[in-house]
Amino acid sequence: MALVDKHPEMVRYISELEWFKFLREQTVALIEIPEMQLQVKTLDSLLSMYGRIIDAVENNKPFLASYYCLAPELYTAMDLPYYMVMQTPFLASSVPYLLKDIDAAEEMGLGNDLCTAIRLSIYYVEANLSPLPTCALNLLYPCDGAPLLHEVIKRNQRWRNIPMFAPDPPYYMDERSLNYFAGELRNMVKFIEKHTHRKLDLDKLKETIECSNQMFRLWDEYNQLRRNVPSPHGWGIGGPQCFSQAWVYQAGTPEGVDWFKKLVEIAELNVKAGVGPVPQEKIRLFWFDLLPFGWVFEFLPWLESEWGAVMVMDMFANFPYTMIDTSSEEKMWLGLAKRNLFDSPMVRQARGVADNFANDIRRIVKDYKIDVVIWPGHMGHKDGSATVGIMRETCRDLNVPFIHLGLDLFDKRYSTPDQIKDKISQFFRAMGLG
Amino acid sequence: METPIKSKVFEQFNEATKTLLNPVLQDWKKQGGKIIGYFCSTVPEELITAAGLTSFRMRATGSTSTEMSDAFFSSINCSFPRHCFNLALTGEFKFLDGVVCVNSCDHVRRIYDNWKRFVPDTQFIEVMSLPRKTDPPQIAWYRDEINLLREKLEKHFGVKISDKTLWKAIKLHNETRRLQKKLYELRKKDKPPITGSETLAVMVAGTAMPKAQYNDMLRELLDELKGVEGPGDHRARLMLVGGILDDPAYVKVIEDQGGLVVTDSLCFGTRIMWVEVNENIKDPAEALARYYVAERPSCPRFYGEHDNRSNYVINMCREFKCDGIIGERLMFCDSWLVEHYMLGQDLKAAGIPMLKLDREYITGGVGQLRTRAQAFLETIGR
Repeated sequence: MALVDKHPEMVRYISELEWFKFLREQTVALIEIPEMQLQVKTLDSLLSMYGRIIDAVENNKPFLASYYCLAPELYTAMDLPYYMVMQTPFLASSVPYLLKDIDAAEEMGLGNDLCTAIRLSIYYVEANLSPLPTCALNLLYPCDGAPLLHEVIKRNQRWRNIPMFAPDPPYYMDERSLNYFAGELRNMVKFIEKHTHRKLDLDKLKETIECSNQMFRLWDEYNQLRRNVPSPHGWGIGGPQCFSQAWVYQAGTPEGVDWFKKLVEIAELNVKAGVGPVPQEKIRLFWFDLLPFGWVFEFLPWLESEWGAVMVMDMFANFPYTMIDTSSEEKMWLGLAKRNLFDSPMVRQARGVADNFANDIRRIVKDYKIDVVIWPGHMGHKDGSATVGIMRETCRDLNVPFIHLGLDLFDKRYSTPDQIKDKISQFFRAMGLG
Repeated sequence: METPIKSKVFEQFNEATKTLLNPVLQDWKKQGGKIIGYFCSTVPEELITAAGLTSFRMRATGSTSTEMSDAFFSSINCSFPRHCFNLALTGEFKFLDGVVCVNSCDHVRRIYDNWKRFVPDTQFIEVMSLPRKTDPPQIAWYRDEINLLREKLEKHFGVKISDKTLWKAIKLHNETRRLQKKLYELRKKDKPPITGSETLAVMVAGTAMPKAQYNDMLRELLDELKGVEGPGDHRARLMLVGGILDDPAYVKVIEDQGGLVVTDSLCFGTRIMWVEVNENIKDPAEALARYYVAERPSCPRFYGEHDNRSNYVINMCREFKCDGIIGERLMFCDSWLVEHYMLGQDLKAAGIPMLKLDREYITGGVGQLRTRAQAFLETIGR
């Protein structure tokens, strides 16, 4: 009996797996390019994650549904496979059925002004297109959408009896908040242990965190290389891939460390050779959000070819990279709390007060010699869109141009790639860029 | 649709909904009283009262434009914070001596960030960290938040908020809740003596004047309504469910079509008064934390509470003999979009008709609202 006959909820998951296999084949064809060797490794890690979930479903082994920035080191240390409930919009938004699914979500009664990533994820759960885990870890940050998605999950008939735990995020960035959230993470582990019968071994956790620290150290080292003019890489490789390795597929694994070593090695070669993604880097831009995953190939190559505009930095590629002190259990919990609540990309800006929107712009513009800051204004990022005035003022103080676009990162029909290109071209011309 | 209320005290309530600095607040200010604005009904007003100040629930009554705030918010933000912040920028909130915000939703919480930076003459501006869950550690967290705000109010305004004064304030606010509940009880009648829009005016006024004075006025109104019958010419009895709604004119449009609003789950309605703060707990801050986080009817801001919210709505609907429910939502509000999506399914299963309406904060597009309300009443056979 085929897996989907017994587990119809696995249909989309298996389609995605096939899609990634196809992408891998395409990438292998370009294997002589060093960056493509790394992309193949990225896809391999992703395929491995998909494979582990399928194996768990087939063989009735425990696995988790979780989210990004919810201490994935813990799952690695407990040898528990997990998948991201929001994986399709984030990891597989190039799948050919994405737009059809967005329409189906709207028809379901979810309107069209709720973040598309949340809408899609609700749709996949409600339409029985998400794997049913042993237990679920529900994220209540960084925006209103995340807890709402999880409220729907909690209420869904098929998910209703699945045990769930949701750590509560405090709003501030202080010691009291850190202690509180560390307590929530401890309770989360007790919950996982209870429902999966896997114990957290503190020595294993220490080992995992040390690996994870090494990954973050290498990521930071890689980012230092991106300070060079020209930048060794543009949008094609960087933040999203690093994030996928460190926070999703390979959190705290030796394979993850190897991946980052290879990345640094490739970037160093480019820096030594003085080459970047375009023959002549004319504009160094800071894209202050996720990449437009749903239509990335229709837009970002154009920025480079038409304007010589290189995405030197993006929201998911740069944060404080604080190392976790593994000298005691207490310090590990506090370190995990800090990394996931205060440092993690998007969460660090959107979860709490808006200070990090301004602080990150200041730091990145200065460190990376940025010529222009682009706030894409994704239709789902309501808190960020209520911060545009603060971002604009910050850029004015820094004397760097700032543009707010207004788009949907996943649905190219909201603002079409042509409309966005036109808006950007007019702005670049008006600012005398490029 | 109108009831026979010809009352001076009702006119004072009604007046309070049409202005920001209403005559009662003007008198309070003249006597040297101070006023604290607060965003969201999860800010414990009792603390403000205990500090000898008057609490004012923030709204943007009278706003006609978002011209200035549009530089700080964007078109995908809810019109409530945009109008409010516009009024802040034009100086309409200068009568406030401080503002307390809370991380209630993605739109409103950013008012704090913008206000702090761009309305520099506000001397006291704070934000509270409200938990997402309702479990014991979250109650403990909010208790500490309440005590931190207590210390800040004491320091800034040079007052002492003792447990005794806080309990006194809690009892006063509980009395407000009991009186408001009495008003709602009158609406269970077949011919309620007060309409939904009139009730909303009374409720909004309760967030814009000193509680002791409000309670006296409300007692007077309740006396006046004793034995009074409304015209009873409505086509259907309705319940309103949604987020911030402070404009009685919006409800009046629905009622003018024959749909009498007899109850609600609103944060200017039953959610702020149907349950009281438990007075049998030793620590008043603990009592307030339990109330605001876990005990009172919640809004979709709280995770894991949808079933309770749905049951609350269904029970209220039955208790007040409603024929249908109108779910109102401000455009771009994620919380109420998803809540109404789930509630719609629950109500369908319970056999209760529901109409979902999106709206802008400042009531407009009356024609469309009228048509939709009419169509709904016809759909439910009224």
